[in-house]
Amino acid sequence: MTINTVTFYRIIRTGFVNFWRNIWLSMAASSVMIVTLIILSSLMLMFVITNYSVTSIRERVDISAYFKVGVTESQVLRIKTELERNNTIKEVAYISPADALKDFRDVHSNDENLLDSLDELGDNPLPATLQIKAKTLEDYPAIDTELQSEKYADVIDKVNFQDNRLVIERLNKILRFIVIFGVVLTVIFALIAILVIFNTITLTIFNRREEVEIMRLVGATNWYIRGPFLVEASIYSIAATIITTIALIPILMNLPEIFQYIAPNGVNNSFFGNNGFATALVNDYISNIVTSGHITLNIILLMFGQLIIALALSVTSTMLAMRKYLKV
Amino acid sequence: MSVNFTQKHKHEMITFENVTKLYGKAKALNGINLDIQPGEFISIVGMSGAGKSTLMKLIIGEEQLDHGKVLIDGIDMSTVKSKDLPYLRRKIGIVFQDIKLLPKRTAFENVAFAMEVSGHRKDKIDKDVPKILELVGLLHKKNNFPHEMSGGEKQRVAIARSLAHRPVLLLADEPTGNLDEVNAAEVLELLLKINELGTTVILATHASDLVNKINKRVITIEAGQITLEQATKGKYKL
Ligand SMILES: Nc1ncnc2c1ncn2[C@@H]1O[C@H](COP(=O)(O)OP(=O)(O)OP(=O)(O)O)[C@@H](O)[C@H]1O
Ligand SMILES: [Mg+2]
Repeated sequence: MTINTVTFYRIIRTGFVNFWRNIWLSMAASSVMIVTLIILSSLMLMFVITNYSVTSIRERVDISAYFKVGVTESQVLRIKTELERNNTIKEVAYISPADALKDFRDVHSNDENLLDSLDELGDNPLPATLQIKAKTLEDYPAIDTELQSEKYADVIDKVNFQDNRLVIERLNKILRFIVIFGVVLTVIFALIAILVIFNTITLTIFNRREEVEIMRLVGATNWYIRGPFLVEASIYSIAATIITTIALIPILMNLPEIFQYIAPNGVNNSFFGNNGFATALVNDYISNIVTSGHITLNIILLMFGQLIIALALSVTSTMLAMRKYLKV
Repeated sequence: MSVNFTQKHKHEMITFENVTKLYGKAKALNGINLDIQPGEFISIVGMSGAGKSTLMKLIIGEEQLDHGKVLIDGIDMSTVKSKDLPYLRRKIGIVFQDIKLLPKRTAFENVAFAMEVSGHRKDKIDKDVPKILELVGLLHKKNNFPHEMSGGEKQRVAIARSLAHRPVLLLADEPTGNLDEVNAAEVLELLLKINELGTTVILATHASDLVNKINKRVITIEAGQITLEQATKGKYKL
């Protein structure tokens, strides 16, 4: 099939003419599309923000084991090696008393009194510490119990476990809710959009019945007849995408601040670790969009994603309408 | 005025081989055999419901036949794929029985429309359409809408549209219907002129006295069957 530029231009032009002829219906079709896109986008944003929070909190969970004074460094390192062999543990960090002291001085560098009294003490009062991160949250209680057991009673003075699992569990529940709610709502509105566009295109087909029949009889190709309807539907999609993006710009502009607020130091790349519900799409695509600092790029990428979805919806319903009502 | 076809072609322009077309159980065409040569002017005469329009619809592939074969330029219509049909139709001009002009377009636009469909460039359209309107004697009405024209004028716009893409074959289905004698004769004159310019013309009409005057081949069909062939191949009787 060869379509020359003249024909291509005519197909596009006819699509625009059809759009303008039923401007009110066209606007209705675009509006439903806008609602669908806004729902989809804002739920995705909510998902990403909540997920970011979970990750940030998850990363702050760890267990610290403080050793007794007099325990030698080699003893501590032996226990470190021992713990590293435990396959529920992801990593063990050793903080020597000297390191701890240095950190302490750094943190309290403004507090002259405290530092003075520390100097008077002469000896380093801080213990050696092992900081343990488990592979999964579920592994922490067992590790906690083990560190508190008889086995280590001689060397370990104190075990500090910040249990944030409840908070995380709650956030995960919210996350799951957002996903289910989001999928259901999006599907409902996508169906409504398909229906409205189907009706609009059907009406255009009926309005142009005579024209199409003559075109067919004087030798119009399939695509010359169908093209304008697809163009018309694409205009709804493009209009809806632009309007939705403009509506979302205020949120997008503020995203970096929102993330800054949630996790001032940022989070690792293990972002979106193991949320059973997180889909690959949301993970790789949306999260990259909203967490990278490039606002313009975010907007363009989000717009592109919306356009793809909008086009998929409108082309589907147009194809259905043409199959049903357009005899070619 | 008689025309002789001495020119020998490899095949006929159109061949009907024992063609039967059913609508449900009713036979619209019943065992039609017909050869049409390139350059011919052939009239198909018959009463209402005889099957004239059906015969034309088979030529452009708008309807499918039930028995027999229709060959166009040697090609069996049943083997033409639907995606190739448009290209066949671009070689054929059709004047529809119900005219089918677009009411919201001027005479010029109605003719241009058919050329646009075939992918002609705008400059060519702007150049050709006035010429065709001139040929049918309607250049002065090029900016008029169908409702501003008489029946005969509308018929002539329809003829102009059918000629716009320079077809080799013109199918005129009852182009003189609803016209008074004077107008009908004018339209017929026009078709003869087009034929002289080299286009094969098939004219369907119930006005047998009109076509009997023009010394061209006339075929009469009744209830889907050819009952009278007023010519032998190549030579035409009165
Ligand atoms: N789409 C259709 N469905 C059912 N029957 C049809 C259809 N088209 C035509 N017919 C029937 O086929 C027969 C031939 O119709 P056709 O239109 O070919 O007649 P015609 O010779 O063109 O008549 P007219 O001079 O009135 O135009 C008629 O009996 C008609 O009722
Ligand atoms: Mg008829």
